[in-house]
Amino acid sequence: MQKLGDFKLPHFFNYPPYFTLQPVRDTREKQIQLWKELILDYCRTQKIFVIGLEEDFPLFSNSVIERSLSHEARQAFISALVSDGRAEWLDKGHRKCLILWHRIQDWADIILHFVKNNGLEDSVMTVEEIRSGVESRGTELEGIDRTILMRALKLLEQKGKLAIFKGSSTDDEGIKFSV
Amino acid sequence: MRRRPGIGGLQTAAAARDQYRQLGENVAKLRADMMKEQLSTFRSQLEDFARKHKKDISKNPAFRSQFHEMCAKVGVDPLASNKGFWAELLGIGDFYYEIGVQIVDICLSTRPHNGGLISLQELCTLLRQRRKSDREAVSEDDCLRAISKLKILGSGFEVITVGKKKLVRSVPTELNKDHNEILELAQAQGYATVDEVERRLSWTSGRAVDALDTLLDEGLAMIDDGHRDGRRRYWFPCVSPISSSLTTDA
Repeated sequence: MQKLGDFKLPHFFNYPPYFTLQPVRDTREKQIQLWKELILDYCRTQKIFVIGLEEDFPLFSNSVIERSLSHEARQAFISALVSDGRAEWLDKGHRKCLILWHRIQDWADIILHFVKNNGLEDSVMTVEEIRSGVESRGTELEGIDRTILMRALKLLEQKGKLAIFKGSSTDDEGIKFSV
Repeated sequence: MRRRPGIGGLQTAAAARDQYRQLGENVAKLRADMMKEQLSTFRSQLEDFARKHKKDISKNPAFRSQFHEMCAKVGVDPLASNKGFWAELLGIGDFYYEIGVQIVDICLSTRPHNGGLISLQELCTLLRQRRKSDREAVSEDDCLRAISKLKILGSGFEVITVGKKKLVRSVPTELNKDHNEILELAQAQGYATVDEVERRLSWTSGRAVDALDTLLDEGLAMIDDGHRDGRRRYWFPCVSPISSSLTTDA
């Protein structure tokens, strides 16, 4: 089995036609399904939050069988993720995409869990501390994409679980939890 | 002087006929009895044999296949019914019943990849993977036997031979001669191109494109436009299984 770093690639990754967008509907649906799973899986294990469609992304080509995905195919797979709510375009030109292996709602739940586990129910933290502080080390929140984190925090703010405020001394934003 | 037929003559003739009939019946009965006896001897011998070699039959695929062959020759089908002594003795019906269910499952789960056509070899490999918990090896012969039993369900399971390979079909698609020839051609590399089909089979371009398009529509082929030479390749997962496209498999 071929590997990318420590990531085990599925069998279909070595089967050349999976790199060509299939014209027959049923076959294409299955193809898209497999690619969606692969992209989400890979991003989750490698902690990748953003994919650039025109950039080199390890999954977009396979040197062993000398195949790479056409722009059309990349677009099709990512668009399918977007319509599943597992990705969001970051620009109108559809060149950059945010990959949500956890939906925003799930990220929000992870944050709440994190807050409770660390007894931070009434504490104040900066956004940066959530991403790289001691408490988050080894958790899923370590190194989380800032855009995703802010979206999840805003969702929690709407629910009254916290307040986001501009810090006075730093230019980082502060979070006051009130879980 | 010619004797005229009288009552006596008729009676004699009738008696003779009667005796002949009785004799005939006796002979037939004797034969039937002998046959019955031979059959019961044979049956008990076969039972003894099966009992004695029960272990070999259930553990050794080659032995099992030969046992089936022997049974077939004498007109005994150990799989005909799940009741009766064969099933009780060997549990052989359950064995094939189980394989049958697993085959259906494998065919359904791989259908999106291969369009419902799978090589017997791959089916067998997947079956063994699934059954790795038990030690009994399953041979291709066992698969064929189980599939032949599935036909009773009328679910369209069928084994077709393409070139040297046996393929198991689980969809009602009818493959014509042209399709079979393309599949046979594709076995070497796993794919075929329009050029190749035209050249090797001496077909017109229309005929080749037509047949390939049908296979594509049926989900039995996938196109590949990614090769450097720019020629479209038609890949057939049923003859080049995805799971074995890399030889160094875990």
